[in-house]
Amino acid sequence: MSVPDYMQCAEDHQTLLVVVQPIGIVPEESFFRIYKRISAVSQVNVRDSQRVLYIRYRHHYPPENNEWGDFQTHRKVVGLITITDCSSAKDWPQTFEKFHLQKEMYGSTLYDSRLFVFGLQGEIAEQPRTDVAFYPSYDECETVEKRIEDFIESLFIVLESKRLDRATDKSGDKIPLLCVPFEKKDFVGLDTDSRHYKKRCQGRMRKHVGDLCLQAGMLQDSLVHYHMAVELLRSVNDFLWLGAALEGLCSASVIYHYPGGTGGKAGTRRAQGGSLSAEAGNRHRPGALTSNGINADTSAEIGRAKNCLSPEDIIDKYKEAISYYSKYKNAGVIELEACVKAVRVLAIQKRSMEASDFLQNAVYINLRQLSEEEKIQRYSILSELYERIGFHRKSAFFKRVAAMQCVAPSIPEPGWRACYKLLLETLPGYSLSLDPKDFSKGTHRGWAAVQMRLLHELVYASRRMGNPALSVRHLSFLLQTMLDFLSDQEKKDVTQSLESYTAKCPGTMEFITLPDGLKLPPVPFTKLPIVRSVKLLNLPTSLRPHKMKSLLGQNMSTKSPFIYSPIIAHSRGEERNKKIDFQWVQGDVCEVQLMVYNPMPFELRVENMGLLTAGVEFESLPAALSLPAESGLYPVTLVGVPQTTGQITINGYHTSVFGVFSDCLLDNLPGVKTNGCTVEVIPALPRLQISTSLPRSAHTLQPSSGDEISTNVSVQLYNGETQQLIIKLENIGAEPLEKLEVTAKTVNTKEKLYGDFLSWNLEDTLSQFPLKPGKIATFTVNIKLKLDFSCQENLLQDLNDDGISVSGLPLSSPFRQVVKPRVETKPMNPPEGSKAGDFSHVKTLEAILNFKYSGGPGHVEGYYRNLSLGLHVEVEPSVFFTRVSTLPATSTRQCHLLLDVFNSTEHELTISAKNNEDLILHAGECQRMAIQVDKFNFESFPESPADGTQFANAKQLEEERQQAKALAASSHPPEEAR
Amino acid sequence: MPLNNYPLYIRSIPTENELKFHYTVHTSLDVVDEKISAMGKALVDQRELYLGLLYPTEDYKVYGYVTNSKVKFVMVVDSSNTALRDNEIRSMFRKLHNSYTDIMCNPFYNPGDRIHSRAFDNMVTSMMMQVC
Repeated sequence: MSVPDYMQCAEDHQTLLVVVQPIGIVPEESFFRIYKRISAVSQVNVRDSQRVLYIRYRHHYPPENNEWGDFQTHRKVVGLITITDCSSAKDWPQTFEKFHLQKEMYGSTLYDSRLFVFGLQGEIAEQPRTDVAFYPSYDECETVEKRIEDFIESLFIVLESKRLDRATDKSGDKIPLLCVPFEKKDFVGLDTDSRHYKKRCQGRMRKHVGDLCLQAGMLQDSLVHYHMAVELLRSVNDFLWLGAALEGLCSASVIYHYPGGTGGKAGTRRAQGGSLSAEAGNRHRPGALTSNGINADTSAEIGRAKNCLSPEDIIDKYKEAISYYSKYKNAGVIELEACVKAVRVLAIQKRSMEASDFLQNAVYINLRQLSEEEKIQRYSILSELYERIGFHRKSAFFKRVAAMQCVAPSIPEPGWRACYKLLLETLPGYSLSLDPKDFSKGTHRGWAAVQMRLLHELVYASRRMGNPALSVRHLSFLLQTMLDFLSDQEKKDVTQSLESYTAKCPGTMEFITLPDGLKLPPVPFTKLPIVRSVKLLNLPTSLRPHKMKSLLGQNMSTKSPFIYSPIIAHSRGEERNKKIDFQWVQGDVCEVQLMVYNPMPFELRVENMGLLTAGVEFESLPAALSLPAESGLYPVTLVGVPQTTGQITINGYHTSVFGVFSDCLLDNLPGVKTNGCTVEVIPALPRLQISTSLPRSAHTLQPSSGDEISTNVSVQLYNGETQQLIIKLENIGAEPLEKLEVTAKTVNTKEKLYGDFLSWNLEDTLSQFPLKPGKIATFTVNIKLKLDFSCQENLLQDLNDDGISVSGLPLSSPFRQVVKPRVETKPMNPPEGSKAGDFSHVKTLEAILNFKYSGGPGHVEGYYRNLSLGLHVEVEPSVFFTRVSTLPATSTRQCHLLLDVFNSTEHELTISAKNNEDLILHAGECQRMAIQVDKFNFESFPESPADGTQFANAKQLEEERQQAKALAASSHPPEEAR
Repeated sequence: MPLNNYPLYIRSIPTENELKFHYTVHTSLDVVDEKISAMGKALVDQRELYLGLLYPTEDYKVYGYVTNSKVKFVMVVDSSNTALRDNEIRSMFRKLHNSYTDIMCNPFYNPGDRIHSRAFDNMVTSMMMQVC
């Protein structure tokens, strides 16, 4: 015997083997439908007795196994049922002939046989025959079960007669020697009359009778017979048969102890029997036996107690039996099957360690050269048994070996599908699941080195199966979950193969459903690149929406009637964690900054990286980036445009790396810092762009209030000069611009400023409103500067050096005493002096023009935007009054104010003063001019310096005034004449 | 291997065919688990840490040792090496355990992390050298 039946379990010893086979051409589907119905009749309660017959059906049974039927009778094919398809009467003789041929195959052991003919109608079908049943079709065969029961009853009659025949101890007769196939030649020429030989015959026969009793449902009888057989065979050292007798003993005891069955499937099969199984259960319960007065099996009560083995003994006896079997090389299959049976019993007893010993032994049982298919079967069953005793890792190991066997190079047609299926089954044993979520948190689970190997095999198998999507999925999983364990070289290899796979079939975010219903969840690459922080960015200052003050106040008051409440403050604090205190605007580009880094030892190309959002329709504008090898934190800005208004939540981002698309949700990312992911999107606002007539400035204003300046312009002016700044307001947004407010703020407050620096008339501009998108409005601002240059000590120094006679009152200045030598070296060259931007000459003034504007739906909601224009003004001095003195005039009420006027510009100037003719000053020229002024009483002169704002050089004049006691000067600001 | 059975440290000589040892050790965990669960709860405190021979294979013998905190040590030795008796194996495990305790005393070591200690490395190497 060479083909082991790995599915065997101890209670199979009590079954009768019936082979069901098709002859001729029978559609497979129909055959198995009938086979299923037949095999449903697995237990038959025989008439007039308490005994139950168990039937084991096979649709395939190797005849060489049948030859071991004498050794263990459950291996003997006792019944044959053939199913045939016969449509016409013409074919009938031929079919019948085939049936006989089939009978010949198992002929020696058959007790009875049946032929089921389908499709034949008419004359032949009407002949009543016991061994042939006719059915018109596969659908009309209600009596099949009944037929089978009758058939089994007839089997029982034969069995019973055989049992009785053998059981009666005819000591006088010569008992034939039963033997197994390989023994036959050993006994040639042996002395058949010796006591030893006789005992051997007796022992073997006893054992055989025990088998028959067991099959006939007489458990206790069989125990007795087995015990006797063990005694007899032990005395003659007939080890093979002794083993068989011991195993029989074990089987019978197992059946007694575990009526539920030891083979998992057998148990369920039995449960189908319904009332029958209940009765079967009763039979095994000792109480039921005694209460039932009439019992055909009289030996039951006597033998039960002493003959039945205890659970521990069963294992000991199994061990013994197996050790006897192992003496015979040809009995390998028997030994193997005994091991399997013992393991099943141990599994029920929950003695895993011993079971593993049996299995370990079974692994080393060397059968003849096994075919590949048998090897696979063997490994699979080992795996199943290990699983049953709770050794999941061992089970996974063997399952994997089986899987590898499916695709062994020696197999002409490798079964990649089977290999893949088996590999999938090993996953739990290696504590692998195919859901990447299980690996995202905490430490790695399981044995990485082994898991990686398995994943590689899965990838390969799925590729060979011709399912690239599947291999991409597995490879992605490998890369995602095992990244920490891959060496640099492996990382390269894996990504290379991933790229080559995705070239054919890009990785998606969909579940992959396998034919057997298993769903493979998508694998997002959350580690390629690794995202460390996610930060939602505010809009640029110029585009930031502001809430109207009044509305904001209302908003606050509706939230709570209290000015302060700790409870609200607390809840608000929590809210702040999630919500961000700025807003995005519908229709405007919004940014999210991610800090990412590349863990790979090579450049990582991330394509199509965009945001995943919820709540608001969002148009994500994907970006592509390339991260250098093992980069540090790298900022990436993802942008998008919200299309509607409301709360927007940034859920995550999507990427495409190595051709695999992944959607990474922030919730599933460990260790990501975020400042909140929900932001409010407010209705669209117009966008204003300003351009001016002036050149842009290199200076950037450092605003005090924190808001940034979008544009800076600069202008150069002479002191006292007025210039127009024309600002073009262009609406570059999509909404009409309805409102505009302009305010100005001077930043540089160190200088004393006289008069209005900036002035404008908004009416003209507002008349062009509302400004449609794309339209331009102009806005004019007048810049006029009056600054005090009196402290320009350098300038005065220059004047002195220039040799211009300075007589009369020296101008007092705090800086006067500090005469810097460097000034002296400087040649007095007026054009150059001003051109070179000698800063001592130039004063700068900075101001910010704020444009508050609004329009469109955002305006309705009470939002506005603020645009700031920075104005950088460089003021150069125009004229100086280097010396002031008075001369009495002709009238006592008046006097002459004498001013030494110095033109510090490189232009020719015309100075006009009240009542005087114009004075023309060339560049760098200094001239005296006299102005007739009224005298007035100094005490009555108002103290307010505001009066002095009329003067260009007020400080200078004030000093004068103090010295002159009663002096008032009035001078028109010099007009420049270019 | 700590409680959830992932390797903290693996060393083998010769280094080729390392995966095979991975498999051997991995499958031996079944036996370790079984042995631990077989010992009743009450016995856990005074149990012997040394588990003895886990299972023999054709070429190797697999021994196991479990600390009180359920950290497992598994040693695979050549079956032909007769110099290694139970007592030697036992003392080797004890040495391993001591060394492991030293690692745990390191304040910079995070329990559950892979072991990258040089001292532990050296100890294992010396032990392996001794045996071979």
